[in-house]
Amino acid sequence: MVNGEKLAQENVEKKMNEEIKDAFPMSDGLTWDDIYQRVIYRYGSPHNLAHIKEELYKLEDKGEIIVHHIKPYNNPMEFQSLNGLTKKIPTTKLWQHKSCGQCGHIPGYPTSVFWIMNKLEVDYLDEPHQTSCTGWNYHASGASNPVALAGVYVRNMWRAYETDYFPLIHCGTSFGHYKEVRNSIILEKEIRDKLRPIMRKMDMDIVVPEEVVHYSEWMYAMSKKAAAQKKYDVSNMKAAVHTPCHIYKLVPEDTIYDGEVWQGRRPAAPSGTVQNFGAKLVDYSTWWDCCGFGFRHILTEREFTRSFALFKKVMPAVNEGHADIFVTSDTGCVTTLDKSQWAGKAHGFDYNLPVLADAQFGAILMGADPYTVGQIHWHATDVEGFMRKIGVPVDDYKEKFIQYLQDLREGKAEPQYLYPKHRKIDFYLTLPERVSWYKKQGGQANK
Amino acid sequence: MATKTVFAPLPDDPRYMDMAYDIQGAESEEQRNFLSNLKPEEREVAVKFWKAVKEDHRFNDYLRGCLNCGVCTSSCPAAKFYDFGPREMIQYMMRDAVDKIWEFTNKKVWACVQCFTCSMRCPFNNEIAGLIMVLREYSVRFALPSAKEILAPYRRILLTVITTGNQVTPDMIQPDTFPDWGPQAVEESKNMTVYRQAVPVDLLQRTDVGWHASLQTAVEMMTIFVESGVIEYLKGVDKDLYDMIMDIYEERKQTLEDLKEKWEKGELNEDELPDSWLDM
Repeated sequence: MVNGEKLAQENVEKKMNEEIKDAFPMSDGLTWDDIYQRVIYRYGSPHNLAHIKEELYKLEDKGEIIVHHIKPYNNPMEFQSLNGLTKKIPTTKLWQHKSCGQCGHIPGYPTSVFWIMNKLEVDYLDEPHQTSCTGWNYHASGASNPVALAGVYVRNMWRAYETDYFPLIHCGTSFGHYKEVRNSIILEKEIRDKLRPIMRKMDMDIVVPEEVVHYSEWMYAMSKKAAAQKKYDVSNMKAAVHTPCHIYKLVPEDTIYDGEVWQGRRPAAPSGTVQNFGAKLVDYSTWWDCCGFGFRHILTEREFTRSFALFKKVMPAVNEGHADIFVTSDTGCVTTLDKSQWAGKAHGFDYNLPVLADAQFGAILMGADPYTVGQIHWHATDVEGFMRKIGVPVDDYKEKFIQYLQDLREGKAEPQYLYPKHRKIDFYLTLPERVSWYKKQGGQANK
Repeated sequence: MATKTVFAPLPDDPRYMDMAYDIQGAESEEQRNFLSNLKPEEREVAVKFWKAVKEDHRFNDYLRGCLNCGVCTSSCPAAKFYDFGPREMIQYMMRDAVDKIWEFTNKKVWACVQCFTCSMRCPFNNEIAGLIMVLREYSVRFALPSAKEILAPYRRILLTVITTGNQVTPDMIQPDTFPDWGPQAVEESKNMTVYRQAVPVDLLQRTDVGWHASLQTAVEMMTIFVESGVIEYLKGVDKDLYDMIMDIYEERKQTLEDLKEKWEKGELNEDELPDSWLDM
């Protein structure tokens, strides 16, 4: 090759690398294959994320909607989404958008999130002014419509906006569903036009946060810092991970990926969190499959749910991955994988693989009380067995907890709280001065 | 000398072997009268239903084409257990086959588990699980028999989510309704009050709601469902449920207005209020 040609070739490569860097700002450490995948996602979807964001800011400029921005005081960290765009994850000053199923049937899930936030001195606000996203109901029954779904989303987002705390979504379905609803509000004028008068009736306007953020993304962002406080060694533990469908298949391009986790080919959370806490990630052939929750099925057609969870998820995780623990990051998945194993015993399938949410897994490793904080007594699988393997003094904790329950029953003990109790009036009205009152009580941090 | 086998000629039209129809024939889709496959009493509503679905803004957005490749069905959890497959639905939609869409909506659409695996994998970027939701949503709006059947065991959940702002409650786990969740669930249900008291967040300590939403929040939620027209759909599906929700809405809205008025005038004595509006 003559010098001129070589120079031209080098220029082409240089130019190409510059273009890649421009199009995919976080492309360092990615292979060409990874970039190729992201090109497909970025340009394959007609309503790609870059377009949604562009339209969002146009609507903000026109004054049609209010955008709840992530501010420097939210200490955001940057990650890449599936299509290579940057996604900001706020790490503090967070408004807790709780999950129906977590609060109802796995209360140790949100309490573990709050406990970890206390330990990491994260500022947060948990209020009685939040409703369900109604996504579970919608996907189960179809009894809703796009305007109602948008109304529920915007009402919750308004409550977060007026407190200046950035919404952090606990439920995987809420997260996926809100991404979809956000896109519909931005792209469909008809929805905005029908929604606005409804919001006005409640003295609200249309607010759309800059990002829809799942707590597992926050958990991953904080996992190295959190793992620095871990008290138990899990390096000999094999962890199978189930990444919830609604996290990465519903509006797939808006979920974080990281080259450090499964070479950037599977979502960063919760696998990366488990990895950063030191457990050995194990693979199994159905890692991508649904847990079997089904929304309607878990409530009214559980024979499907039980069979699917056991045969398509638990058995491959144990038989192929030899997992000691199943970690996941959504309401329905924890419930389904945990509750579906007991009935299998009747047919000789006694797997009893312990199931935990990533937040519970992290909190227990960081030394949280597995009963008062982790609330593992609500789980049907052998979580105690897993804790014994890693050296948690389960029996001591259990004895204390049984005594605590007895004392509560007899009125000898007062309930313990992770943050100050709300006032009585907060259970009735949504008052503007509620945040300043709360801050005067000392905020969250175990006070 | 062996006799030469003579094969009967096949028609050129590949649609000759359209397995979606019981009677096979050379009739092309353009000539096929989809309505003839519907019962006379169902024709009008089936046509109206399909027209409404096609007019929804999501329909054109979500349906983009189909290679008939079957990637959707091959990874579909529901297809492994039920006589159901997303590919067949997309094919009926592509063909504008009102009769098959009607049959699919009334028999199969509720099998989908809404995992969105099909949507993520579709080479045509069809939002398949979203199209299923559009069919489900319109079957509720049209109060179709399958929607009534599906929602019958689900009515308590609907009542809870619309009136309290929570989808599920801790006390719904009862030994007779969730026996398959094992002895742990029985233990919880027997001692639910003290177990909930031991949850270290005040919003999570009741047994009848997942978390305790404020009265204002619960009323706002109902307002959204009423104003957006969702409650009207329920009238057709479950009139008793509709009446119950509307009664609760009117009563709680009035209570909220009275409380707000007193608060603004500085006349509200917090001590006189019960700990929770749920006990009023």
